[in-house]
Amino acid sequence: MRNRPTGWANPLLHLVLSVILVTVSELLLKRGAAETATPQQTWSWTGVSGLASPWVWCAIVLIILSFVTWLHVLRYLALSVAFPLSNAVYVLVPLCSWLFLGESISATRWCGIALVLIGLVVVAKPVARLEERL
Amino acid sequence: MSVLSFVLILIAVMTLVSGELFLKRAMETTHESGFGSRRVLLPFSAGIAAMTISFFLKLGLLQHFDLSYLYPFQGFSVIIISIAAAIMLHERLTPPLVIGALLISAGIVVVSIS
Repeated sequence: MRNRPTGWANPLLHLVLSVILVTVSELLLKRGAAETATPQQTWSWTGVSGLASPWVWCAIVLIILSFVTWLHVLRYLALSVAFPLSNAVYVLVPLCSWLFLGESISATRWCGIALVLIGLVVVAKPVARLEERL
Repeated sequence: MSVLSFVLILIAVMTLVSGELFLKRAMETTHESGFGSRRVLLPFSAGIAAMTISFFLKLGLLQHFDLSYLYPFQGFSVIIISIAAAIMLHERLTPPLVIGALLISAGIVVVSIS
């Protein structure tokens, strides 16, 4: 395996950062979309009216930042490790919509979140052990 | 589900997968030839192009189907990317990686159908 940079350039740190950036951008998009929703307009389905919201622009900046951190992750981590771990957004987005947007989570959905979480731990554990040996 | 929509969903998933593979290949090559070389820029552009196609296909599909109907297919992309990375990029699939990918996929399917 290629030598991984440590400290601020640590690709695992950037993976976490990328996931957080995507999660925050999704919440901002939802907020911006809710503010600018105009269902009566003919062109509403394209989502362009969302561009009137500053929240949507913040979200776009965060998406670009997350893409840059993701490219850094791809330089050092195997895709079969990094991509499954990036799916942590499927845990964080529902949890944050529940905490900050007041959306409700059904029992089945909690089970799905738990499944993803267990899968993440299974993938991440050997990686964490590798990191300790470095 | 009509045959056409199934084909469109399949193309959306496959372009996403190939986009990630191209980006990974591009970023790996930066170690040997730097960011400006053609060996990096070609797969990088191919990756961006594939992901753009995937994005617009998904946008189009979202206009016709519920998000909860489309997300399970996205869940399968975890398994497909792991297998593709093993075959095309010669990454080693360990048992925890396979089990983890299966659990994550199953979880995404459950989250979206609930």
